[in-house]
Amino acid sequence: MDIDDILASVDRTADTSTPESTALDHQLLTRFWVAERAVPELLPWPTSLMERMMERVRRQIESIEDLAASSTDPITHHQTSSTSAATTNLTLSILQSDLSRTQYLIRSLLRQRLSKLTAHSMHYLLLISRPNNTQPQSQQSQTDSSRPEDSIPEPPSTDDTDVISPLSKEEVSFLHAHQTLLAGHYGASFLNSFPPQLRRLDDNAGGTSMVQGPDGKEVVFVRCLVEEVRVVVPPGDGVEVEVEGTVLRMGEVWAVRWEGVRGAWGRGEVEVL
Amino acid sequence: MAFPLPRGITPPEISFLAEMEMVTILPRQRLEGLELLGGPVSPLLPPRRTSLPLWLALLLKRQRRANILPPPWLHPESLELILEIETQNDEYQHAFSPPPPLPGQPAPGDHRRAPLATPRYTPSGEKYYPAPPFLPQNTARDHIPPGEPPALPFHWLEVGTMLLEAASDDLVDPDQTRRLLKELREVRMAKVRAGVDVLDAAAMGGGGVALTGVGAMELGEGRRFIAGVVDELRRIGASKEQARREEMAEEMANGGYDGTQDDDDEMEF
Repeated sequence: MDIDDILASVDRTADTSTPESTALDHQLLTRFWVAERAVPELLPWPTSLMERMMERVRRQIESIEDLAASSTDPITHHQTSSTSAATTNLTLSILQSDLSRTQYLIRSLLRQRLSKLTAHSMHYLLLISRPNNTQPQSQQSQTDSSRPEDSIPEPPSTDDTDVISPLSKEEVSFLHAHQTLLAGHYGASFLNSFPPQLRRLDDNAGGTSMVQGPDGKEVVFVRCLVEEVRVVVPPGDGVEVEVEGTVLRMGEVWAVRWEGVRGAWGRGEVEVL
Repeated sequence: MAFPLPRGITPPEISFLAEMEMVTILPRQRLEGLELLGGPVSPLLPPRRTSLPLWLALLLKRQRRANILPPPWLHPESLELILEIETQNDEYQHAFSPPPPLPGQPAPGDHRRAPLATPRYTPSGEKYYPAPPFLPQNTARDHIPPGEPPALPFHWLEVGTMLLEAASDDLVDPDQTRRLLKELREVRMAKVRAGVDVLDAAAMGGGGVALTGVGAMELGEGRRFIAGVVDELRRIGASKEQARREEMAEEMANGGYDGTQDDDDEMEF
């Protein structure tokens, strides 16, 4: 971070009600939506951005309702000429188009996230649960009363801040309820007729975990937004350090592995297309 | 089934994104400024030009409330020039013509200036670098510096098609423009198909394939195919890659690793 960065970060306004910040948030939401639609894994939930957007949408709906009410109000209707009524209709249609576009973005984003959550529900449940709450369950699984639901990790408590979760609070409760229902259904339909030790949904007998996660090696398309970004190969297969690969230069568009540019995406240096 | 669409934005969504591009209009009636969720819209005061998102410009155009000033690249002369770069220039035989530079990026061929990206900051203090569709790549310009070559913006195909459909009377020579867009599209699609040979490079860890200059819709069309081929190649080469990684780990353990990779993963599309 150089001096310009520090100055700029001090200079930026914390006021998020200005028209400029509305435009910026719209750009951030659009970019996040495109990224969420393109990458294999669930991206960290942008809490403050989504709060600001939801608040703006709520206020915009109110102002549209006010405008619509005033245009059909019989008392004011007499005084207004037909041209201004036409202008109000135009304004209303513009405002409503704009609202629908934003609502589409938010809806598509949320549905994409739900689809990723349900596709790899156990993976995300294990990711958000604290690592120390698995011990009592392993003893439990040896008893006859073992049920598939027992393998579902407890969701973190809301005041627990040391677990970095990519999910929003609503998504956590959805995911837990979803997986509990699913496990109950599996149990009722077939798992309860199996021996107790085969009833778990997170079995990793033989060193192979049955919990599948998203594949970070899948390819994504990115545009490099800064002077230079290096694609990395994360540690694995016996290599303990991150190895650097190809260099992306400013303005270039590349097809690369998601895991190779995930860090650069987090720093805002590349954009997913 | 929470979401039926495949991963990666689909062509209708790409058009939706392209409708956020700013274009210049010449309003034919007055309208007060509006506070939209996509950002503020300045008041319309004829005959003053103003920049609006494309969706709004098209809405006004369809109701004959405004004329759209076509972007400089959507002109038969500019398109002829770009087509010449795509087909005649040796440097771009296997690559797309260079895209318009990002803010802070020198023009293609200008090696005197180093690129310098200047970030804006989000309310949470993260860096934000604007990119299409939020750059003025489709607005009318009064003065184009001499020597600046015309370039196809990221959403060229969508913006061009939408303007031809809804505002053809505002364009210089719509028939010629339509023909040139079609030719450009065919030339560039042939390049995408020919580029399949080098997709192997993206299947290796740390490697990639450059597609610089590609358009959003071209990417949308090629996305499934390219991603499918690369992922399949990766699966085929997985054991080879693992063996190479293990070899590297061994070399590192012996202290013989010097930090360079001997693979040829830098390939131009």
